[in-house]
Amino acid sequence: MAQTIPSRRQFLAAVGNLASASWIAMNWPDIAFAAEHAGHDMKGMAGEPSPPSTLTTLSVAEAADIDAIANQIVPGGTSPGAHDAKVIYFIDSALGTFFAAQLPNMRQGLAEFKSAYAVRFGADKPFASAPEAQQIAWLKEVDKTPFFTAVRRLTLLGLIALPKYGGNHDNIGWKLMGVEDNHFWEPPFGYYDKDYPGFEPYPGTKPYTA
Amino acid sequence: MPTKTMQRKIYKPSEIVDFIVIGSGASGGIMARELSRAGNSVVVMEQGPRMGPGDFEHDELKYRNLSGITNNPNTNPQTFRSDPNQKATRVAGRNPLTYARIVGGSSAHFNANFWRLHEIDFIEGSKLGPIEGASLVDWPITYAELEPYYTKVEWEVGVSGLAGASPFDPWRSKPYPMPPLPVKSSGVLFERGGRKLGLHPYPAPMAINSQVYKGRPPCAQCGLCGGFGCEVMAKSSSVWTVIPEAEATGRCEVRSDSYVFRIGMDQAGRATGVHFFDNKKVEHFQKARAVVVCANGSETPKLLLNSATPQFANGLANSSGKVGRYLMFNKGGGVAARFENPLNEYKGANVTRVIHDFYDSDPKRGFYGGGGFDARSGGPLTWGQSVPDGTPTWGPKFKEYLESYNYWMTCAGHGTSLAQETNRVDIDPELKDAWGVPAMRVTYKDHADDIKHAKWMVERGKEIMDAAGAVQIDPGEVGAANGGVHLLGTCRMGNNSDTSVIDKYHRTHDVKNLFLCDGSSMVTSGRGQPTQTIEALAFRAGDHIAKFARRGEI
Repeated sequence: MAQTIPSRRQFLAAVGNLASASWIAMNWPDIAFAAEHAGHDMKGMAGEPSPPSTLTTLSVAEAADIDAIANQIVPGGTSPGAHDAKVIYFIDSALGTFFAAQLPNMRQGLAEFKSAYAVRFGADKPFASAPEAQQIAWLKEVDKTPFFTAVRRLTLLGLIALPKYGGNHDNIGWKLMGVEDNHFWEPPFGYYDKDYPGFEPYPGTKPYTA
Repeated sequence: MPTKTMQRKIYKPSEIVDFIVIGSGASGGIMARELSRAGNSVVVMEQGPRMGPGDFEHDELKYRNLSGITNNPNTNPQTFRSDPNQKATRVAGRNPLTYARIVGGSSAHFNANFWRLHEIDFIEGSKLGPIEGASLVDWPITYAELEPYYTKVEWEVGVSGLAGASPFDPWRSKPYPMPPLPVKSSGVLFERGGRKLGLHPYPAPMAINSQVYKGRPPCAQCGLCGGFGCEVMAKSSSVWTVIPEAEATGRCEVRSDSYVFRIGMDQAGRATGVHFFDNKKVEHFQKARAVVVCANGSETPKLLLNSATPQFANGLANSSGKVGRYLMFNKGGGVAARFENPLNEYKGANVTRVIHDFYDSDPKRGFYGGGGFDARSGGPLTWGQSVPDGTPTWGPKFKEYLESYNYWMTCAGHGTSLAQETNRVDIDPELKDAWGVPAMRVTYKDHADDIKHAKWMVERGKEIMDAAGAVQIDPGEVGAANGGVHLLGTCRMGNNSDTSVIDKYHRTHDVKNLFLCDGSSMVTSGRGQPTQTIEALAFRAGDHIAKFARRGEI
């Protein structure tokens, strides 16, 4: 794009001003192409707060265990997983704000998880620092519990929700799923529509347009 | 259309306006425009805030999981039960009945599928009834009476589509004003599978601009329609279409953050205005000569039942006892399907192809029910929360499943729900909302035919996706309905005041200057996608109510 890229606010102001409809019509493809929408990319969004990146609700030990669980739910390896996506900061922030009502149950669930783990594997080392095989073996025993289900849900939300909530760092969740970070799209969208020959009318029908 | 400099009309609550319209959604916006254009003073009361284009975000967490623009279970709680003999209870974390609570109402967050009802929908009672356990009756109006208003919706509000493409479409007087939206990969595959089976997939009629229309831009193909507001104003939501046009008359005030909790009545049995809370929860009374309730199929009966007076002890306009009864959703069944190559369904307007071959109920199937299918998609956050049977819910195999997101689509079936008298919205005897207003209680159990039909739809969905070449098919589970977003039938229209709440002109049988128009007016459920019908009803009702006002018949 040779022209200056307008900020999202400029874009929305242009779209929102209906007096300039003809201008929009003339410029729409370029404007749309240039638009950066909140949550897709923070460019042009001066004043947006940074995503949560420190613990404010959970203790370090609590966060370490939940982070380890999350990283077994969506493991790293050849491609980044939940730990790399900083899902734990989403979970910590969520439990301190919009999911605060879940915090007591989460803490109780974690306490039960830890004590049962200690009984099974010894109390000297937390789950978070256990070898991977041992973590997986233990999670297979508890993956039907409400606590695990809750951590799984939070992990998924943190992996895929907008990065501004603390997780999905560097769009890792979206990249994992193949979702590109953009405000708008143009056809062809996928493999199967790129060679679509057009709609073929059925015998006996007469499609017509305005 | 108003410009930034246009002064918005503001009425004092003590002023007696001609009409109060309660609700600013699909029907309320149209009602406001029609009545104000006819020369009436109008105040539109909207519970929620007014959001501008810049306020809408592509935030799946907020809009899909945190009640960003919908009725919040924390502040607007409801209870639910499947059996009228049970005590209804709150459902953790969600409300059974969901609607958008902003200016524009649910038209602001709809998917924008605009299907007309077919001629059969209006006469199924006499053609297919009676059905045991259900109240399947004819509408007091026909398709022919509503057809001009369907056309009006398409041209006034803006609908894209291809007229005459489906052999099953009802007759129409005009084509769509805009061509269909560009097809997605899901639409191509759905069309391929359908055609292979001898079915007739066709371009989806959508209330989304495919080109500049009435000063609004075409769809940006952002992929987030259902559940989201459209920040480019390409989706034909009331907040971008008829609301500004109503305000441009200089006679209509849209009063946001104004929660009507009771309709005022006088000794003569006439409505005098509405009691409402402002955004600081301060109570006011707005005076009016007439009231039109367009608050949706759950809030409309709740308001009437909460407006009981000694003269109307069972709730307003409820001499029939039918207010809140015959609640219907749109039961359906479908499948998810995986293909060999990427579809990238997060891109593009949600629906691009529809099949209506199974629209009519066929007695040969052994049960009542009909519906339509569409090819659709969902955002990544919603999709990632569940897995097909047999797929691990965590670990490396689950991660592989997440990586397959772009290879999946949904073949969704949308069908009928039979009206049953016991399925209803009424008032919970204990629960109150954050304003102290008695909350709604929902009682709902599927009719056996609704379940059978939904399961039948799952089988058809499997066939369509198999014919399309799917490498994996994940059939949807057909469970008992425990809520919905299509809120229909709860103040049904009819000619008999013993069995219905409003007449064919949307006037309540009991209160001469009280009218109702929204999903609650519908007599049968249709096959999903009720919004175009709700909007056509609103244009028609607006015409008639304006005539009544001119003639001094209100």
